[in-house]
Amino acid sequence: MSDINRRDFLKFVGAGGVGAGAGFYLADASKKTVEYLIPQVVPPEDYVPGVASWYNTVCTQCDAACGISVRTKEGRAKKIEGNANHPVNQGGLCARGQAGLNALYNPDRVRTPLLLEGGRYREISWDRALTELGRRISSLRIQNQIDKVSVLSNTQSGHIGELLDRFIQLLGTDHYAQYSVTAPHAIQEANRISFGEPTLPYYDIANADVVVSFGADYLGTWLSPVHYSKAYGKLRQGRDHRGTTVQFESRMSLTGANADEWHAPNPGSEGLLAMAMANVVSRSSAVADAGAWSQSLSAYAPSRVAEQIGIDADKIEAVANAFASGNGLALAGGSALAGTNGVAVQVAVNVLNYLGGAIGREGGVIFNSDGPASKAASFAQLTEFAQQLGDRGTEVLMLLDANPVYDLPQSAGFSAAIENVPFVVSVNSFLDESSAMADLVLPLDTYLEAWSDASPNPGVGFSVSSIAQPVVQRVFDTKSLGDIVLGLSAQIGSELPIELPWTSAEEYLRGVWLDNYLAAEPGGNEKSFETFWRSVLSAGVVGQRPASVGGANVSLNSSATSGMDFGVGDFSGSESERPFVFQPYESVMMGVGRTANSPWLQETPDPLTSIVYGSWVELNPATAKELGIREGDLLEVASDSGTLTAPAFLYPGIRPDVIAMPMGQGHTEYGRYAKDRGVSPTRILSDLTDSRTGALATAATRVSISKTGERHGLIKNDGITRTLGRQILGPHSGGH
Amino acid sequence: MSIVEKYKKYRKAGYFDKFDYHWGMTIDLDRCTGCEACVVACTAENNLPIVGEENYRLKREIKWLRIERYWDGDYPDAKLNFIPILCQQCDQAPCETPCPVGATYHNQDGLNTQIYNRCIGTRTCAVYCPYEVRYFNWFTYKWDAPLEQQLNPDVSVREKGVMEKCTFCIQRIRDAKDTAKDEDRRRVRDGEVKPACVQSCATEALVFGDLNDPDAKVSKLYKDKRGYKVLEELNTAPSVVYLKKVKAHV
Repeated sequence: MSDINRRDFLKFVGAGGVGAGAGFYLADASKKTVEYLIPQVVPPEDYVPGVASWYNTVCTQCDAACGISVRTKEGRAKKIEGNANHPVNQGGLCARGQAGLNALYNPDRVRTPLLLEGGRYREISWDRALTELGRRISSLRIQNQIDKVSVLSNTQSGHIGELLDRFIQLLGTDHYAQYSVTAPHAIQEANRISFGEPTLPYYDIANADVVVSFGADYLGTWLSPVHYSKAYGKLRQGRDHRGTTVQFESRMSLTGANADEWHAPNPGSEGLLAMAMANVVSRSSAVADAGAWSQSLSAYAPSRVAEQIGIDADKIEAVANAFASGNGLALAGGSALAGTNGVAVQVAVNVLNYLGGAIGREGGVIFNSDGPASKAASFAQLTEFAQQLGDRGTEVLMLLDANPVYDLPQSAGFSAAIENVPFVVSVNSFLDESSAMADLVLPLDTYLEAWSDASPNPGVGFSVSSIAQPVVQRVFDTKSLGDIVLGLSAQIGSELPIELPWTSAEEYLRGVWLDNYLAAEPGGNEKSFETFWRSVLSAGVVGQRPASVGGANVSLNSSATSGMDFGVGDFSGSESERPFVFQPYESVMMGVGRTANSPWLQETPDPLTSIVYGSWVELNPATAKELGIREGDLLEVASDSGTLTAPAFLYPGIRPDVIAMPMGQGHTEYGRYAKDRGVSPTRILSDLTDSRTGALATAATRVSISKTGERHGLIKNDGITRTLGRQILGPHSGGH
Repeated sequence: MSIVEKYKKYRKAGYFDKFDYHWGMTIDLDRCTGCEACVVACTAENNLPIVGEENYRLKREIKWLRIERYWDGDYPDAKLNFIPILCQQCDQAPCETPCPVGATYHNQDGLNTQIYNRCIGTRTCAVYCPYEVRYFNWFTYKWDAPLEQQLNPDVSVREKGVMEKCTFCIQRIRDAKDTAKDEDRRRVRDGEVKPACVQSCATEALVFGDLNDPDAKVSKLYKDKRGYKVLEELNTAPSVVYLKKVKAHV
C-alpha cells in the first residue's frame, strides 16, 4: 500500500463506500456530534433561547397546596412565584415555597436507584430495582405472607393518593399507614365532637373584626399561612375599618409579634381561657341556646379561673367583650393544641366561636363539608406500627417519602424496628435518616418534576382543584410516586396490572380527570375534555367562585363539652425537678425538617430571632439573668426522656417558665446543607399524647436547663434590636 | 454655570421628574408581618450567593433586602416590630459621590445603580451608606452543581472584589419597557413591573411603581398620612416611603 497515489486512494474509498455498509456504520458511530450554534431551526415553543416560559403547578413544601407559577428558561426552572389566579395564595408565596428550586437542583439528591451490597450503595438501573423489589413482594404474596409487607407513607393527597390506596388494597397488606407531623388531629376530632364535621373549616380572617388566636401561628406555619397572610393584609389596611388581632400563647410566634395584643397564659390553660371568654360572650350571645350555655359555663367566670390562667380577669373580660361586640373569630393551634388536652382546647374555642355567632358567618368559621377526612396516623398508631414491624415479622418495609426516624421521638421505636426488617425500601428524593437505613433506595421526583393533583385542605370556602405538572425535564434518573406504584404493580403481576392498567401517572391522572369531567359535563366528550384539560393546565387551577361564600349549616352539639376536662393538661416530669415547660415549635424556614436541606433557607434569618444556621434555646431574659446565662452559652436541656445541648438565645417574648426551641434542624443525614447542623428538639420529647386523638403532645414535656460552661456563638443577621431613640419605625414611634 | 452650580442642580431632589420614570416603593408596616418571603424571593431573582456558615458568622452575608427587628418594652409587654430595609434608591445618595471610579451612579429613572465591571472594591460606598444596604463579595462564591442551573440568566453573577446592592429588579424594569416598546406604548403600565420582593409579598405590604405617574398606586400611597422616610433627616431623599404601623388594642 506504500505506492498508492491520491487518485487510487479516492477510488478505493469510493469502492469501499459502495461496497461495505459496515464501514459506513462505523464512521457514523465514531464521528463527533456536530454542534450547531442554534440547535433547532424551529425550536419547541418552550425552548426559545432568551424567552421565558411559565408553567403553573402546585407547591408541596407544606400541606397548604398553594398554586405556583414556575419561570423556566432554556428548559431550566429559574424562579417560583405564586399563581395570581389561585384562590389559596393569590399570587403570594412564602419563603419555603420560593426555595423549592433548592430541592429540584439539590446536589445531594438521590440520582439513580441504589442497592445496598456489601455495606455500600451501588447504583443500579430502574429495571433491576423494580424487578428486585417486585420479586420479593410477589414471592411473599404467593406464599400468602403479604402481611409481612409494610408500607409507611407521607400523607398523599389527591388522585395519586387514591392510586396508592388502591395499590395497597390490591396488594392485600393491612399494615399500611400515612402520617404527617403537622396533621391537625385535634382540630378535626374537636370539630367532629362539636359539630359532627371531622374536617378543617374555612377561617375567614379577612372579614373578621377581632381575631383571637390561641397559639395558632396563622402568619407563619399554621395550616395555610400564605392564604391567611393575604387575609391579614386585607384585615389591616385593605378595607374600611382596621381589624384587630389578639394572640394568646406562651411563646411569641410570628403571628403573636404582629398582633395588637399578645398575652402569655400559663402553658396548657388555653382551654380554660377560651371557656372563660365563652362565659363572658354567652351573657350577650344572640344564639338560640345561649341561656343554657350561660348556665353550663357559670363555673368559668373569668374572676374564678383567672389565677389558673395567669391573665387578669379584666383583660379576659375586655378581649371577650371586643370579641362579642364585633365580628369575632377564634382560632387554635400550635402549642395550645399540642398538650394532652388539645381536643378540649379546640372544643372550648368552638364553643366560643359558636356563642359569638362566628359559625357559618362571613368573617367567621365556614364549614365546607367536602373537606377530606384525615388519613394521617396519630403518634399512638405510629408507635403501634413500629411495634408491629417486629411482631408480624415484616420482611419488606416500604417507606414512601417518609422519614420516621427523624420525624418522631426515639420512644416511637422506629430506628430499632427498621434495623430489624430484612429488606427496607425507601422511596425518597434525598438520603435522609430513614433512607440511609434502607437496602434499596428509589429516587423520587421532586414536586417540580412529577404529575399529581391537589385540592387545598383547608379549602378556601368553595371547591378548588389543581393539577401539578412537571415544569422541567427530570434532572436525574428519578420517577414519580405514581410511576413507581404503576411500575411496581407491573412487576408484581397477577391481577395488579389488570386493575391498574395505566403506563404512567400522567395517563392515569388524565383518565380520572376525564371520567370526572364526563360525569360533571353531560354534553362533554373527549375532544372538549382536551380543551378543558389544557385550560386547567395553563391556569393551574379549576373551581367556581360562588356569588357568596356560604357554608354547610352546622350547629354546636349541646353535649359537646360533656365529660371534657378543660383544666390545665398533664406534663411529664415533676415541676420541682424540671421547672420549665418545653415547647418545640414549627420553624418558619425549616418547617418540621423537610426544608432543612435548602441552602437558601439555611441562610435566611429566622423571622423572630434573625438566627441562621443551627438551633437555639429560647428563654426569657429574666430567667437567664437569674441563672447567669448569656446569649450563646451552651445549655444542656434535660427531660425525663433525654438531653440535648444547644446555645441560649434571650427572647423577650416568652414566659419565664417556658423554654422554646425551633424544630427542623439536627439532621444526621439529609445532605450537606442539613447534616450535623443544630439539634432536633423532638429527641427529648416524652411520649405523652393527646388523650382523645393519640397525637403526640409536643408541648407537654418538662425540662431543666443547666450551663455546660462552653459557648457557641449564634450567627445572627441582627445587630442592635432596640431603636435607641432613632425614629426608624416612624416619627414619634418612641422606643429606647 | 460653574461646575458646582451644575452639580447642585443635578443633585436636587426631583431632578429626574422630567424624565419618564421615577421608580419608587411604599412599604406598609401595618401589613408587613416580617415573614421573610421577600428575602428569599430576592435571593432567587438576583442570584445572590450562598456564602456559607463561616462567612455568615463573619458578617459577610449578602442580602439585598433584610428584615430588621426592633423590640419595644420588656416581658410581658414586649412588642416586636419588623421593618424591611433595602436600598432606598436615594435621590441624593451619599454612596454615589465617594466612588473613585464612578462605579455607582444615578440612572435616568432615579435608580441608584452599580456597574460591576467598573467596581474596584474600595468599599467606600458601603461606608457612606447610612442604611447599610451595600454588600461586598469577599470571595467568588460557587454553587454546588447542579444548583447553578437555577441561576437567573437575566442577572449577571458577581465575583470577588465587587460591591452589589438592590437594583429594584432593573432586569424586570427593562423587560417591561421592552414590552411597552414592542406594543407601541410610550409608558409602562402601573403594576406591570413588580420586583421579586413586591411580587412575593403575601400581605401586599410592598407596592412599587412610577412616582411620575400621579395615578399610580404607589404615588397615592406616597401621600398617605402614615408615610415617612427612614433617616430622612440625613437629607438623602430616599425613594422608599414607609407607612407607619398602627398601634391599637381591643
